[in-house]
Parts: sequence; C-alpha cells; structure tokens
Amino acid sequence: MRYLRLYGHFFTAQLKVMMEYRLDFLVGVFSVVLIQFTSVFFVKVVFDQIQSLNGWSFYEVLFIYGIASTGRSIHHIFFDNLWTIGWQYIRNGEFDRFLIRPVNPLFHVIANRVQQDGFGQLAIGLILLLTAISHLSIVWTVGKVLLLIVMILSSGAVFVAVNLFFATLSFWMVDSLPIVVGVFQVAEFARYPLTIFSKEIRGLLTWVIPYGFTAFYPASAFIEHSGYQSVALLTPVVAVVSCWIAYWFWGKGLRAYTSTGS
Amino acid sequence: MIDVQNLSKQYQIAKRDPGLAGAVKSLFSRKYETKQAVQDISFQIQKGEMVGYIGANGAGKSTTIKMLSGILTPSSGVVRVNGIVPYENRRRNASQIGAVFGQRTQLFWDIPIRESYHLLKHIYQVPETEFQQRLEMFTDVLDLGPLLGIPVRQMSLGQKMRAELAAAFLHNPAVVFLDEPTIGLDVAVKDRIRAFIREMNRQQETTVILTTHDMQDIEEICNRIIIIDGGKILYDGALQAIKERFGDKRTIHFDLEKNDGFTIPYALATRVEQVVSHREAAGKSNSISLSFNNAEITAAEVISEMMQAYTIRDLTIDEVHIEQIVKDIYERGL
Repeated sequence: MRYLRLYGHFFTAQLKVMMEYRLDFLVGVFSVVLIQFTSVFFVKVVFDQIQSLNGWSFYEVLFIYGIASTGRSIHHIFFDNLWTIGWQYIRNGEFDRFLIRPVNPLFHVIANRVQQDGFGQLAIGLILLLTAISHLSIVWTVGKVLLLIVMILSSGAVFVAVNLFFATLSFWMVDSLPIVVGVFQVAEFARYPLTIFSKEIRGLLTWVIPYGFTAFYPASAFIEHSGYQSVALLTPVVAVVSCWIAYWFWGKGLRAYTSTGS
Repeated sequence: MIDVQNLSKQYQIAKRDPGLAGAVKSLFSRKYETKQAVQDISFQIQKGEMVGYIGANGAGKSTTIKMLSGILTPSSGVVRVNGIVPYENRRRNASQIGAVFGQRTQLFWDIPIRESYHLLKHIYQVPETEFQQRLEMFTDVLDLGPLLGIPVRQMSLGQKMRAELAAAFLHNPAVVFLDEPTIGLDVAVKDRIRAFIREMNRQQETTVILTTHDMQDIEEICNRIIIIDGGKILYDGALQAIKERFGDKRTIHFDLEKNDGFTIPYALATRVEQVVSHREAAGKSNSISLSFNNAEITAAEVISEMMQAYTIRDLTIDEVHIEQIVKDIYERGL
C-alpha cells in the first residue's frame, strides 16, 4: 500500500516533466503508433491473400495482436527502466544510490521511469482490441470482461517477468541489454497463433520463455475453436510463477552485487 | 554511534593477459586474484563526532563507507551503525543515514529539485511540517532559493553540490557520509558547504564521516581523523596531533638559472633537506626541491639563503597535502 502511494508520487512528478516537453511526448507516442501500425498492416496484407491462418481469421489474429499490444504497454509504460539496468545503473555504480534508500531497490528502479512512448502502445492495443471485438461474435458477459482484464494484466506481467529475469544478468556481466533485446524479439512470434509453429518453438514459447501467455493463450480463452481454452486459464498462474522466479533471480543478483560491489 | 570491529573485505578480480589474445583466453579460463581492500580495521565513532576519513585513492576508503552504508557485505568482521548491522538490515539502516557520493547525484536528473525533495520526503517518510521547516532552513543556509525550480541536469557543479547536500540531510539522518563534497568548487561555495555541515552538526548532533583530499575541509570540519592506507588504519586520533607532527612540513621548488652540481647552502644544511623527484634525479633539470619544517626555519629564510648562493629563476611553495602526510607516516612511521 505504501509503495502504491509512493509510486503515485513518482508518477506525478514525471508526468509534470512530460507535460513540459510536450513535443517529445507526442513524437514518442507517434513513433510507437507508427511502428505498431506497420506490423498490423503487414498482417492485413497477408490476409488479403489468404482466407485464414491455420483456421484463424484476420480479426481473431487481430484480437491476439490487441492483447499482446495492450499487455506490452503495461510493461512499456511502467517497467521500461528494466531494460537498461545494466548500463544505466550497475556498470557505473549508480545502483548504489538505490541501496541507501529505505525502499525496495527494484521498486525504486522501476518507479524511476515512466515511459511516455508506452502510451502510444496502449492506444494501439486498445484500438486493435476494440476493432477485433466488434468483428468477432464473442458473447460478452461481466465475467468475460473481467477475464479479459485479468488476461491483459497477466500478459503484461509475463513481459515484465521475462525482462526482469534477463536484465538481472547485468549483475554478473557488463551489460545484458543485447540479451534482453534478443529475447524480447522472440515475443514477435507470440503474436501469431502458436499452432502455425513447429512443436519445438511452441514448447519454447510455452514453457521456457512463456511469451505464448502474453497473447496467444489468453486470446484462446475467448475463441471457441482454438482448442486451447483450458490451457488459456493457466495464464494468470504462469504470470505469477514467472514473476516469482524472476524476482527470486533478481534477489540472487542483488546479493552478488552487494558482495562484490562490481 | 558507529562501531567497526575487525572489518575486512577482499575482492576476487579476474586477471587477464594483455591484448586481444588475452581477452579471448579469458573467455574460457580465468585466473582470479584476491585483492584485500580493507584489512582488519576497527574504530568507534561517537554521536556528533565529525571524522575525516582519509587516504590515497584505492586505500580502502570507499570500500569502508560502502560497508557502513550497507551497499557491501564485509568478508569478515562486524559493523554496527546506531545498533543496526547495515548489510543485514539495509533498509532500516538507510533511513538513518544520508550520503553525498562524490560526483554522483542522489537527485532525480530531469525533475526540478523541489519535486525531487518532495519525492525524498515520501521515500524517507518525513512528516510534512518537519520537511517544510528543514527545507526552509536549507534554502536559507545553502542559498537554494533560485534553484528550486531547476532540474539537476541544468545545474553547475557548485549548484548541484549544494542541492545534493540538502538532499542528504533532508530526513535528518543520524550519520552522514560525505565523499569529496567540495571537489572542484570555488572558495565561496566551499565555505558555504563547510558552514552548512558544521551548522547541521551543531543543531542535530549529526555524526559526519568525511572523505576528502582537501586539507582545508578537514581543518574546518573535523576534530578527528582516521588515515587509511593499503586497507589498514595508519592513524586514528586528533587532527591537532598529526598537524603538529607533519603539518608544518613544507616544500619549496626552485628553478635555477643553471645547475652544475648543487649543494645545500651551509647556513641551511642542518635544517633543510633536498627532496629528489624522478625528473630531478635524471639530472636534466635545473629544478631543486627543498623540504623543511616551519617550526625550525621560515620559508623566507630558506629563500633568502638560496638567493644568495644561486641565481634563482622561479620558485613555488608547496602547501601540505594530505597525501604527503600519509606518505610521510607510511615511510617514517609516527
């Protein structure tokens, strides 16, 4: 509870700065929207040639995209600082500052940055979701709306967990950014129905780097013919477990740091 | 307030052969070298003391400070700050310490410092009325008024350091670590910063540990110094005693018109000694350095005797540097 309030203070302080640099804000948001739009456009082009992708219609794929983008925006807006822990804080010793503050250092790192570009991601995600939903014949009940919200939050949590895990490597190596970026690229696969991939890639995206749970599985919960409706319900569990593992790993990294002070 | 007993810290450093071949080799097999950063040091500091913690670069100063502030876990030994073991109870310790670490900022880069202070207020859970009072006082003593609306990013070094100092004292910490708080600042700002530190100590009985290379800082702030070298404590005691012993030692560098075999003038022979630097030893230079004790002979006397014996082109007088004192203690003992 204290941390929530504290986050609020961090957030408003940074919001004020953003408002001061309005142009930066708009350019940032616009560039993300542009990037996202290009990839959606690509899907559209593909679907102009084919009727369905392994049994998935255009709007169903758009729905998967929408969940991925919205989930990712949570990570993008609130947890963006995880990317650069290595070169921004650990390599130059700036990380020490977080250790002499009476708050959880991971919280502090995260709260230290609100990424404005993420709002563009959020906007695109919501537009995609709404567009897809208006073309899909899903019967929406209160329960289903709640489920969708839980699924999107879980998707965001999985993004955060995977990023945190690989960013934590910075405690042992000079900079883990290339690895973090590399792993993050894998998430692109997860925006398509996993059934189009080989068994190995599907397994990788489900059990090793669980990006499948950022989009495809959560979306499957709402698509009757997906055949993954029950696996889909595991999404929140996977989210919690991956966050737990990532945080445990972070704790190990932190101990390594305090014993070597690299 | 601070209790340090038999504190040691060693690091493992990966050793690497030079060059690209060495770098590639080190990918596969690494040799480690153990570096003893701090060796079995012990000291106690009472509440309200202001201690200068000094030594050359790499002597073990910052390693010690890091262990006192909970950033590093010692290899062996015990640290207690106000009864708390910092590396076991890092967050609890954090709320009772403040720090200014050299060139690094404690403030938020992009945010006007007024906002930064507000965030710190929430981080350290400082009650609003206390916060307002303190900020008002700091603004006054450190002359922060015109700076409150500016982010650190746009500040000069002197402005930044004043802002940092206020941040370090904002939660009224029992202990404050100051690492080179006056480095690179002009005299007026230095004075203001020193006055602020003394004032905080007087008002709140804040314990201050100061690391610096500036002798003036120590003279104006500290009543006790701990000298560390090679990870061991060389001296721990009153500043006065060390100054009496070493502080009067001065060196004058003379630039002679020509140098064909220099000998110290007879009148100075017993009271002055020649210091030979590497460059001078090579015999190519016309410069001569003489060191003497201010209590035995004045600089004026040395200069006048030298001028009678030789043709002097130029001269400079060295003030006492803490490094010199450390070196003297190291070479000759106390």
